[in-house]
Amino acid sequence: MIWNETKECMSRDEIVTLQGARLRKMVDRVYHNVEFYRKKMQQMGIEPGDIRGIEDLSKLPYTTKDDLRDNYPFGLFAVPESEVVRIHASSGTTGKATVVGYTRRDIEIWQECVARVLAMANVGKNDKIQVSYGYGLFTGGLGVHYGAENLGATVVPMSTGNSKKQITMMQDFGVTAIACTPSYLLHIAETLEEANALDKIKLRAAICGAEPWTDNMRREIERKLNIKAYDIYGLSEIMGPGVASDCDYHCGLHVFEDHFVPEIINPETLQPVEAGETGELVFTTVTKEALPLIRYRTKDLTSITYDKCECGRTLARISRFKGRSDDMLIIRGVNVFPSQIEAALLEIGETSPHYLMIVDRINNLDNLEVWVEVEERFFSDEIKQLEGLTKKIAHVLQNAIGLAVKVKLVEPKTIERSEGKAKRVIDKRKLV
Amino acid sequence: MIKQLSVFVENEVGSLAGVTAVLKENKINLKAAASFDTPEFGIMRIVVDQPEEAKAVLIQEGFVVKISEVIGVELVDQPGDLDRVLHIIADAGLCVNYIYSFVLRENNAPVMIFHVNQLKMAEEVLKNNNVKVVNQ
Repeated sequence: MIWNETKECMSRDEIVTLQGARLRKMVDRVYHNVEFYRKKMQQMGIEPGDIRGIEDLSKLPYTTKDDLRDNYPFGLFAVPESEVVRIHASSGTTGKATVVGYTRRDIEIWQECVARVLAMANVGKNDKIQVSYGYGLFTGGLGVHYGAENLGATVVPMSTGNSKKQITMMQDFGVTAIACTPSYLLHIAETLEEANALDKIKLRAAICGAEPWTDNMRREIERKLNIKAYDIYGLSEIMGPGVASDCDYHCGLHVFEDHFVPEIINPETLQPVEAGETGELVFTTVTKEALPLIRYRTKDLTSITYDKCECGRTLARISRFKGRSDDMLIIRGVNVFPSQIEAALLEIGETSPHYLMIVDRINNLDNLEVWVEVEERFFSDEIKQLEGLTKKIAHVLQNAIGLAVKVKLVEPKTIERSEGKAKRVIDKRKLV
Repeated sequence: MIKQLSVFVENEVGSLAGVTAVLKENKINLKAAASFDTPEFGIMRIVVDQPEEAKAVLIQEGFVVKISEVIGVELVDQPGDLDRVLHIIADAGLCVNYIYSFVLRENNAPVMIFHVNQLKMAEEVLKNNNVKVVNQ
């Protein structure tokens, strides 16, 4: 099912013309309302008038997560704060959150995009959709919630956690679709299996995202629950869930190009790559009012194709992600940077001890263990003090990243050093 | 008072042997040893003939080591003698953190290591009660 055929099935010429017109307006707005961009453009010697169409996009400066942090919290907003109707935030690289804002119009567009995603997953107004993404500052819960309401479906706003209650509601309400992280869905599947309730549910579709997953994982979900599962992509800086999603053909994620213009660049040279090549995904939000971003570097590595999909959509498709160009990890849908762990450990001692993050998927749930090398300055002769130290580190880390962390004290020099630099992360999940 | 070394070890195969190997190589003689474990890590507490040297070589080998003082008490090898000493400490309102015993040798009286919350006071109390306190 196609929610907005006019926008999702345009010819390439029509898309490019629409993007060009929207980009011109956006650059003009940003230039006059956001000091950061005006200064950047002046430094580069460009004026809004130099941007005539989408072909001029590469003349514009990039935006990074650091720029958002440097202008914390509202410095990049292009509208008066009175026009902002909602704030969301995600974790930043060094503890400071990345804050995003939305005008009423931004929320409407977000609802439209999520409705497109759900329609792509054949979910409609007769469906009951359980939203099991976290509600709150995280964009997942509320983003999908309002999109599903816009579609006319019945929303069950479960948020995360309490799997037993999740499956009870699912059975009692006759839920037909669910939106959550893929690992959480596998966990729910197991809870259903244990309760012998797999044949008591009416679930037929899942819209999963917020963390990387593989085709194999999708097939496992589909087989276990006897449903169809779809991939939804988004990031709060650009909007939230609903920037792109895949259809029944599972041949890449359709980007809603009338709102988000994608580019693929070489993360080292910062030059656009050849068509079809893998590189870093960059977005320009041509319709966003509150927080319009020019060439925002997602750090996600992928490739792009503009061929028409068998589903009838002409939108650009991005392939499954092939990793990141930075060291960000996505654990249970939460963005985690090793630098956050380092900063938190620094809070405990004067200098940061050697540490290693071990990410694994245990019983389908992501698990983060942090090894910390014991140093003389915090070594105590008493077991209870060492156990207290372990708990304290776990607590500080949990506060810093918003995830439960298992801390293990290890002997000095346990953590391997290569060329003087310690390896900080072992990701055993094998997601790419 | 006796100088005791505490060494951080992981709860893994060979971790205690890693410590004793370093002592052996450096010809340091163990007088007493005890290990305390948790599911993840342990502390190996030892008394040796050359505590400072032992600490230096262990640190050189990458161990985390702390030296602390403990009380060595000479006991009589007969029923009730440890009970007597523990009561003296308890009656003084002092708290024992841990105890472990010296390696016993022929013809020598058994020696027990005590770690108590107020070491100096504990030593006084024991001496006043005619308990034989030994040194390194």
